[in-house]
Amino acid sequence: MSVTSRRLRTYAAAALVAGLALSSTACSKSDDSDSGEGGTVTVTLQYFGTPGLKEAAEKFNSTHTDIKIDAQNMGELKDFDPKLTQWIATGQGAGDIVMLEEGNLQKFLLEPKGFANLFDLGGKDLKDTFLPYKWEGGQTADKKKLVGLGTDIGGLAMCYRKDLFQKAGFPTERDKVSALWSDWAQWAAKGEEFKAKNTGAAWIDSATSVMQPYIMQKSDTWFYSKDNKFIGDSNPIVKQAWDFGLGLSDKGLTAKLVRWNPDWDAAFKKASFATLPCPAWMTGVISGRAGAEAKGQWDVATIPGGSGNWGGSYLAIPEQSKKKKQAFEALKWITGKEGGLEAYKAAGAMPSNVAALDDPAFKDSKNEYMNNAPTGQIFGASAKALKPIHLGPQHQNLWEKVFEPQMQAAESGKSTSAAAWAKAVEDGKKLAAG
Amino acid sequence: MTTAGISTGRGSKFKLTKLDMKYSPYLYIAPFFILFGAFGLFPLIYTGYVSTRKWTLVGGDKGFVGLDNYTELFGDEKFWNAMFVTFGLFLVGTIPQLLLALLLASWLNKKMKFRTALRMGILLPNITSVAAVGIVFGFIFADRFGLANWGLDLIGIDPVSWRQHRWSSWLAISTMVNWRWIGYNALIYLAAMQAIPKDLYESASIDGASPTRQFWRITVPLIQPTILFTVIISTIGGMQLFTEPLMFNYGQLNGGSLGEFQTISMYIYQQTFELGTRYGYGAAMSWTLFILIMLFAGINFAMVRRSVKGSTT
Amino acid sequence: MTAVTTRPPSHRQAVAPSGKKRRSASGRLWEASPLTYVCLIGAVVLSAFPIVWSFIISTRSNEDVYKIPPPFLPGGNFIANVTRLLENEEAGFLIGLTNSIFVSTVVTLSVVFFSTLAGFAFAKLRFRGANAALLFIIVTMMVPTQLGIIPLYILMQKLGWLYTLQAVIVPFLVKGFGVFMMRQYAMSAISDELIEAARVDGCSTFRIYWNIVLPALRPAAAVLGLLTFMETWNEFLWPYLVLNDDTPTVQVSLKLLATGYYTTDYVMIFTGTAMALVPLLLVFVVFGRQIIGGIMEGSVKA
Repeated sequence: MSVTSRRLRTYAAAALVAGLALSSTACSKSDDSDSGEGGTVTVTLQYFGTPGLKEAAEKFNSTHTDIKIDAQNMGELKDFDPKLTQWIATGQGAGDIVMLEEGNLQKFLLEPKGFANLFDLGGKDLKDTFLPYKWEGGQTADKKKLVGLGTDIGGLAMCYRKDLFQKAGFPTERDKVSALWSDWAQWAAKGEEFKAKNTGAAWIDSATSVMQPYIMQKSDTWFYSKDNKFIGDSNPIVKQAWDFGLGLSDKGLTAKLVRWNPDWDAAFKKASFATLPCPAWMTGVISGRAGAEAKGQWDVATIPGGSGNWGGSYLAIPEQSKKKKQAFEALKWITGKEGGLEAYKAAGAMPSNVAALDDPAFKDSKNEYMNNAPTGQIFGASAKALKPIHLGPQHQNLWEKVFEPQMQAAESGKSTSAAAWAKAVEDGKKLAAG
Repeated sequence: MTTAGISTGRGSKFKLTKLDMKYSPYLYIAPFFILFGAFGLFPLIYTGYVSTRKWTLVGGDKGFVGLDNYTELFGDEKFWNAMFVTFGLFLVGTIPQLLLALLLASWLNKKMKFRTALRMGILLPNITSVAAVGIVFGFIFADRFGLANWGLDLIGIDPVSWRQHRWSSWLAISTMVNWRWIGYNALIYLAAMQAIPKDLYESASIDGASPTRQFWRITVPLIQPTILFTVIISTIGGMQLFTEPLMFNYGQLNGGSLGEFQTISMYIYQQTFELGTRYGYGAAMSWTLFILIMLFAGINFAMVRRSVKGSTT
Repeated sequence: MTAVTTRPPSHRQAVAPSGKKRRSASGRLWEASPLTYVCLIGAVVLSAFPIVWSFIISTRSNEDVYKIPPPFLPGGNFIANVTRLLENEEAGFLIGLTNSIFVSTVVTLSVVFFSTLAGFAFAKLRFRGANAALLFIIVTMMVPTQLGIIPLYILMQKLGWLYTLQAVIVPFLVKGFGVFMMRQYAMSAISDELIEAARVDGCSTFRIYWNIVLPALRPAAAVLGLLTFMETWNEFLWPYLVLNDDTPTVQVSLKLLATGYYTTDYVMIFTGTAMALVPLLLVFVVFGRQIIGGIMEGSVKA
């Protein structure tokens, strides 16, 4: 019972009490106080993946003094989406601006009360600055509420590895490569030719990679009819794409990889497959994974079928935000011409803003990593030919959590195509019914 | 118990002391009961309540639905798959774990140098965090560049797609679990072994019993209560297995494309917080699991009681 | 067990006086053989390997991750990797580290305080219902309260505690195991006479706790504190559910690092795992003996 030990105990007790009192405020990255020095208002922007929004926000911050954007990367979509759903439902936790993936957008449009109406904040005037389908896409069905403004779209191309094409005796120059396939059947036939040359690489990374471009090109619906009924079982194009994809793996043309897994990453390093359907944002993914030593080995050709879209997103302002006015100003800039171009420059995210698409900075742009391919031209052309597709409320989950895993199971030979399809349809119905 | 209550009071202080002695014990145990009640017991019991309601994150509490959630659960293939995985992983994760722990403990139960260092060495996995170690093991069991497949290649075995099969994913996950818990259990067994009088062994060796025979005939029966104790602890832990299979699958809740290693905790989490956010259904699953664990632990507990009564310690 | 009971009792007594000599005769059984050492060292190597390996990778470059054979020797990139890790705003690793230290410390102090207080009451004070209350605590030790997370989550939502640190602190301020452990220890460590003497001197019950009981319980309380600290530090599922990416604990930061979309900086991930282990390893190196003692004694007493 020395003095020191008693004092220690007292300190410990004091620390405990202080700690409990502090715990509500301590060590949080987000800043709740509205204004920092000099009347600057900071708005938080929560995004997932690498859409180039961080770089766009930095540019914004360097040119604006009254508003600052704190751009926060929330990790993967699959982690972010459940959290965002919770935040919107509970009215706490969300930032002032949040990114919505088009596959999840319908879910929020059907229950839009968690979001501010951008029409009321001055969004009405922006109509003609966006691609029409993207503008329409951010509104509720009754056209009374504008929830989101478009950021990137995923105009499609086909990326290919030049060194593997050369090994197989294929042309490597991008126009000649584009001429190899005008539709998917030709592309698949080329794949069989490629396989016969025994390069040691597969033709494509996985059977599931063709689903998105294939369906997006040939249909205006996927799992849902336009009145949001589940039609994943009866929509012929879905089954057709499924059979096409698994047909590829039956012929041994796929590397049977799972996207976003470390093994997929490793496959880029090891040049394990020759082609990859490439939405604009995928070029950033490739360069990040294949690394500096593969610079110039990847190139961009046109996609079989000529157009299409894979992914794309919107930015919205949650109703819970206390800085809607400033958030809208920031949002307007980010989705505007300058913001769009900045994001494109940083991450290859293709803008949906018309002025940005027409700007030479986009139109004449080349991708240095992808062998200086004129990506602006290639993706721009694909975007113009694009037909909008209706994705229902649970689209993203239906694809990522139900159909894709079953398709992977069939691809790996654990399940037959028929059994996997039956299971996917059964589970899909259940999920869609909620 | 004790006789701390001796009246020593003089005058007014007497009353105060009496009050203090009568009520302060309640004051001292109250924080535990209040906090545990509010954040431990209440949620657990309330789970039973939520399980009888249609309750979603977005829609809120939509009222009483009786046993509908349970009826659905009994017809839910994925629930049963997750149950199968959980019990299966429990078995392949626990039995070798406890056997190896016994073996380790018997090695440690000797006179030796560097005693503390060796004990610390085998306890090391237990103090590390599951999330961190899960990441490391996720890479060890990567299909195309992982250490495990490299090792197999060295001895001429084809690489394994670890996440594609039930057996391979279970092997990898139970390796993680075993790695983490063998040392801990070994120390517990060691403590029990040290309580066994050494002369029992001496007489046995005079009778000509081999060390192996002594181990199975003396050591194991005498530490049986401890073994059952570890079985209960492992049961409770094993039934709630979550982080290892999650990190093994790079943070995805589906446990393989066909749910080959989706445990019941992962399925509950997925159904409640990822897909559909159905609190009612998730609660029904939690409650079912709770009852199963209690049943399991109860059976084990009864066995402990019986063996304690039967043994001499 | 039959081997034990069938032995003639006289035999045992005959051995006892010359026990020392006998032990050396059959002593070989109790001396560790070289083989035992080899086996144990093998076990230690296997135990340490994943941890050591994560430290090795944390000193290498990203190109090395895919190398075959894999790297087993440290490289020279450690500082660069740590810098990248700390600069990675998304995972908020430094914030996670600070938060974890804060949360674990508060929870540890609280668990130790309330456990010693209640343990003292159960061991040394007489009050109605004590036995029933103690039995209740013992039962709760076996109950997997993690299964109550759905209502607990709803509760946090109602209290407005989601995405704040009190969500990972307040529910864990007490621990049935701690109360039980302190009670067991207090029974044997504190003499009734001492308490009575203090009472005669006019000490209040709390003064007795503060001045006599707490110092006497210190060794056991230290073990409880260490175990609680490590457990809280390693907690994953609950923090992952209720914390925002703005306010992570270190485990949540790790998850963010490891599964960040488009993140292929694996070396940075490994550096994160290694760094998250450092505080625990430090605690373990300094207090390993006590932790081992605590685990072994705890199991015997329970």
